[in-house]
This record gives sequence, structure tokens and C-alpha cells, in this order.
Amino acid sequence: MLLPAIWMSAIVYAAEITLLSIGFTLTYLTAKIPNFAHGTYAGFGIYTVFTLTRILGISPYIGFPIAFFIGGGVSILVYVIVIQVLSRMGGGTIVLTIATLGIQIFLTAALLIYAFWIRTIYKTYTVGFMLKENDFQLFDMPGIFTVAVSICVVTVIALHYMLTRTKTGIAMRATAEDPELSSVLGIDINRIQIYSWFLTGGLAALAGAMIPLWFSSTPTTGSAMITSIMAASLIGGFENVYGAIIGGIAIGFSEILLTFGLQQTLGMWVGEYRPLIPMIFLVAVLLIEPAGLQAAYEKIMASKTGRRFLSTIGWKMEG
Amino acid sequence: MMDLIGSLAAVSGQARLIVDIAMYFGLFVIVAMALNFQYGNAGVPNMGCAVQVIVGGFTVSAITTRLTFWIVQQAGVQLLPYRSNYDWVYNNFPNISVHTNGFLKDQPMLCISLLLFSLATSLILGAAIGWLIAVPAIRLRATYLMITLITMADASQIIGRNYVPLSGGTLGMFVPNVFAFYPGDRTVLMAVITLFIGLISFFIFRTMLNSPYGRLMRSIRENEVTVGSVGKNVVGIRRNILMFASGITALSGCLLAFYFSYVVEANYQRAFWTYWPWLMLILGGPGNNAGTFLGTALIVAMRRVIIVSKWFFDTVLFFPISYFEQILLGALLIVVMMFRPSGIIPEKLLYIPGINYRQLVREEAKVDWRTAPKAKAGATRGFGLFRRKKEAET
Repeated sequence: MLLPAIWMSAIVYAAEITLLSIGFTLTYLTAKIPNFAHGTYAGFGIYTVFTLTRILGISPYIGFPIAFFIGGGVSILVYVIVIQVLSRMGGGTIVLTIATLGIQIFLTAALLIYAFWIRTIYKTYTVGFMLKENDFQLFDMPGIFTVAVSICVVTVIALHYMLTRTKTGIAMRATAEDPELSSVLGIDINRIQIYSWFLTGGLAALAGAMIPLWFSSTPTTGSAMITSIMAASLIGGFENVYGAIIGGIAIGFSEILLTFGLQQTLGMWVGEYRPLIPMIFLVAVLLIEPAGLQAAYEKIMASKTGRRFLSTIGWKMEG
Repeated sequence: MMDLIGSLAAVSGQARLIVDIAMYFGLFVIVAMALNFQYGNAGVPNMGCAVQVIVGGFTVSAITTRLTFWIVQQAGVQLLPYRSNYDWVYNNFPNISVHTNGFLKDQPMLCISLLLFSLATSLILGAAIGWLIAVPAIRLRATYLMITLITMADASQIIGRNYVPLSGGTLGMFVPNVFAFYPGDRTVLMAVITLFIGLISFFIFRTMLNSPYGRLMRSIRENEVTVGSVGKNVVGIRRNILMFASGITALSGCLLAFYFSYVVEANYQRAFWTYWPWLMLILGGPGNNAGTFLGTALIVAMRRVIIVSKWFFDTVLFFPISYFEQILLGALLIVVMMFRPSGIIPEKLLYIPGINYRQLVREEAKVDWRTAPKAKAGATRGFGLFRRKKEAET
């Protein structure tokens, strides 16, 4: 082992949270709603991998692309059946957000029914499982460590390329800025929305597919991660995909390493309160600077010393 | 109902179901009315109802129980030790069921004052927690408020599960039976009291909504910038609304604890106490109390009937009924939002005495600003009052 297990755990978790918070932020950018059902998409990834590995006996890594498409499909269905209809009827942010809460309950129940159904048919454990034994060894480490890090890095680079170079990505950014103006310029907003919902659902399910290879998984694992996802997105400023990447890494690391460190110093009871850590981050960000890293970046860009500092470290600036 | 109170035997069968539905209707109607007060009338999206309800429950388990133990010890009854965490949980049952309830049996005045004390304390603590959870996000957009409150609801449950002195952690704990003096079925009396408190809170909310403050709340819902521009403290008013409604919501948790004589955090899940009140509100129609009553009655009756006929459903479905219930309630919300966006009973226009609505409507219908010719300087177009004044001047 090159790294202690706790660090590897933190890195894998940070990669998952990063992928999830990128998707959450993309949804917020294009549809202007915090999607409470976002974490639940990860559950679909978890159960895709579970079905392939435990029932069909295939390597879990083959399940990753399948999970991506299943999550994307679920997300498109959610958009087309519910969100699109409600926003055409003139539902505001609050109405749409409550609708996503209903979707979360619905999708979680669907996953629970699926897990129960598999259990009655195949007589195996379907709740609280891990797939560590199906993993391969790479550089004397579990394969998921390398795979998670590389998937995260590749996704970030591909997303950056897509948002800045391709027409679809630029249209997505334009739709996020001003839907009416971009529709005047000939962008099909509906198609762009469907692309973005597919991407968010797919990324969430991909992150979910990585969970059972390292952590214990249940149908509600994804739903329980929504606090961490929202905190990560909020650190990044809620409307900035790059901020969400930094926020995801920060939350993922701090949630595991901080809990571990506090357990070493204060005692084992701290571990029970681990879900409170993202909540504390969330409240702290809201109290200190509600716009998160986005506001910090704008402050640096506004000051002369900040710009000089950025140019010395080789930061390319627009304008 | 009087029959049920009069009957001293334990309630069973059909009557049991009616009492249960009445009790849950009373509990949920308090939460849903408070939510209607916040969201339907003031536009404050409180997604943390579960926090306030759980505070009511913890008030009973952590404060009333300790106070009762202290009173009982002062009266000379020997209790098992309850100071440490271990004793607090493991000596809880004998302490409550044998010593405390046996003592309370002959003390009706003490019982009633304990009930009133718990209600008052949970009202105050609920308002305090309402202020506390409003601090981070009440100034910001509604989205931030929703995110913070929904996180707080989960956090309160985690604290309740792991911090033993509150409610005994995962094991839960029994609370004193404040109706030990009553020879009949305690739950019937409890349901009557809950419905009575629901009625009182209905009158309080109705009075507030028909007062100038209620009109101010509705104007904040419609356009808070305008309200701020005429010199009202929008943030302060929203915080006051949240605090007041939080206090009333906490009563519901307090009553639930006495109904079960038992407090455990799993009874106060976010799905029960945040999602269902929202569903009731949206189903009945936000903005009017009649809709809230109807929505609450429908959902509570449906849920209780599903639970009672569980054995029938289990033979039809291949999965447990609780998942089916979640699917049903999740789909119901979406369907109601799509096909009845303003609920079963839509909100009516608020009647303000002293305004001639007929004239207002006629004048608005006459004026179509897009086609109207541009007004000349000095010419007036607008409400009758101003026009008459200008005409009188010229």
C-alpha cells in the first residue's frame, strides 16, 4: 500500500462527491432548482453494479457505462415527465423544488422495492453490501482507487472541454445565463435542458456505481449524501461548476479525515456525528459568504494585488 | 365522541380506528396549518417542520420527565438512579411505569399542570429553535432557506439518535403518563385535547390572517421588494412568522409524545413531518385553511386505512406495503401539482373592508396599457381617488 487506508478512503469519497456536486450545480444552472432527488440517482448506479456483479457475475467495471446511461435515462424521464410540465405551467422555484422532494421519495421507494424483489427471488443480501471482493489489484492497491481518481480527472477535463469548446457546451452556458436571449439566438432550449439533465443523471449514477466498491451500500445511501452534495455545491458558489469541483474535494476530504482526526483526539463517539460535518460547512458558508468561492474569486479579480498575484502564478485572465 | 369519552372500557375495533384517525388529524392539522401560515400566506418555504416537531418531543422526554422525577422524589417516593446515561435509559421503564405513574394516579392537578407546563415549554423552545434555524438563511433567497432547513431536519434526528440524555438514543424512552388519574382510555382524552388545541390554533391563525398583519404577510409573498420599499422590515417579519409558526408546530410533537407515552427519534422522521404536511398543504390548496383541513383529512384517512388493511395489501403486492405507500404519496404530490396546481380548494381573494372591488375590477378591465395611447402630460389615468382629486383641482 502506497497510502494509508484512511487517505485512500477520503480520496475515493472525494471523487464521488465531486462528480455528484458537478451534476447538482449543472442542474441548478440550467433549471434553477436545487434537485433534492440528485443523490437518489446514485442509488440507481449502486443497484446496476450490484445486479451485474452479484446476479449476472460480471465484473463491476463493466457496469459503469451501463450505470451512466441508466442514470441519464432516469434523469431525462424526471425532466420530461415532471419538471418540464411543471415549469411550462409556470411553477416557481419553490413548487419545482417540492416536486423534486416528491420525486426523491418516489425513486427511493422504487429502489427499495427493487432490492426487496431481488432478495425474494435470489435469496441474497441486497441491503448493506460491499463489492470489495470483486475488485482487482493495481500497484498493490484496490483498483477502484485508481479508477475513481482517473474517472474524476477525466470527467473534469472533458467537462471543461465541453463547456468551453463545443457548441453544445457553449449553448448550455448561454441557456444558464439567459434562456430567453439564447432562444432568440436559435438555441433549442428544450434539447439543451435534456442534454444537461442526461449529463447530471449519468454523472450521479457513475459516482453511485463507485460507492459499493469501497463503502457499504443501501438503497438510501445516495439520498443520505444529498447534504454533502449541497454543501459542496454551496462552497463553490452554487452557480459555478469549477467551484463545485473544489467544494466536492474539500467536503469529501474533510468529512472523512476530520471525522478520523476527531475520533483520534476526542474518542470514537464522534463518528456518529459525521453527517453533521457537511451541515456545519453549509451553515458556515452561508454565515460568512453566501456566494462561496465565486465571491472570493470575484473579490480577487477586483483588486490589483490579487490580479498581480494570479498573473505571477501563471493564471490566464480574460480581459 | 362524548360516548367514547364516557366509556371507561378500552376502545377497540372500529372505534379504535376512529380515535386514531382523529388523533393524527389533530396532530397533522396543527403542522399543516402552521405551514399554511408560513408558505401559503407569507411565502416562507419552511422545509424543516420536522425540527420543530422533534423539539416538542424532546421537551417532553428531556425536561418534563426530569421535572416529574424531581417532584416525585421531593414527595418522598424512592426512584431508581437516573443521573448517568446508562441509568437514564435502563431504569427508565421501572421509574416511569411503577413509581412515577403510580404517584401521579392520585394527583390530577399535578398531571394537568405538567401537561400545561410541557405545552408552554415546547411553545417557547419551538420558537427559539425557529429563530436559531432561521439565522443562516432567512436573509437570502428561498432556495438557500429550503436547503438549510432540510439539512437541519436530518441533523436534529442524528443528534436525537446519538445524544442519549435527550431521548434515550435509539432505544427511546417512556415519558410520564399525564392522564394516570383518568380511569378510561387515555388515548380518547388525548385525541380530544389535540383536536381542541388544533381548533384554538385555527382561530389564532385565522385572526392573524384577517388582521392588517395578515395582509402584510400576503403582500410579502406577492412582492417583497415593494413591501421593503414602503418601509417594512421584510426580514424581521419573515423571521417572526417562522418563529411563531415554529412554536405552534412544536405543540404537535409534544402531544405526539404524550399520545404514545414514549419518545424515540424514529417517530420524528423528516419524511413524516416535513414531506406529509407539504403534501397535505399542496393537495388541499395553499393559502386557505379550509383546503388545509381537507388535505389533512384525506391524507391521514388514506394512510391509516392503508395501515389497517395491511394484511389485505400484503397478499396482493409482492413487496412491503410501506414502500407502496411512499410510491403512492410521492406520485400523488406530482399528480396534484400537474392537474390541480392551486389545490382542491383554491385560495380566495382576501376581502378588505372599505374597498369597492367592483369599481377596481371595472377600471382595470378598461385600461389596457399596451394599446392605450400615451398619456399627455398632466392627464391622469388610474384609480378613482386620484382622478377625482385632480379633476377637482382643474
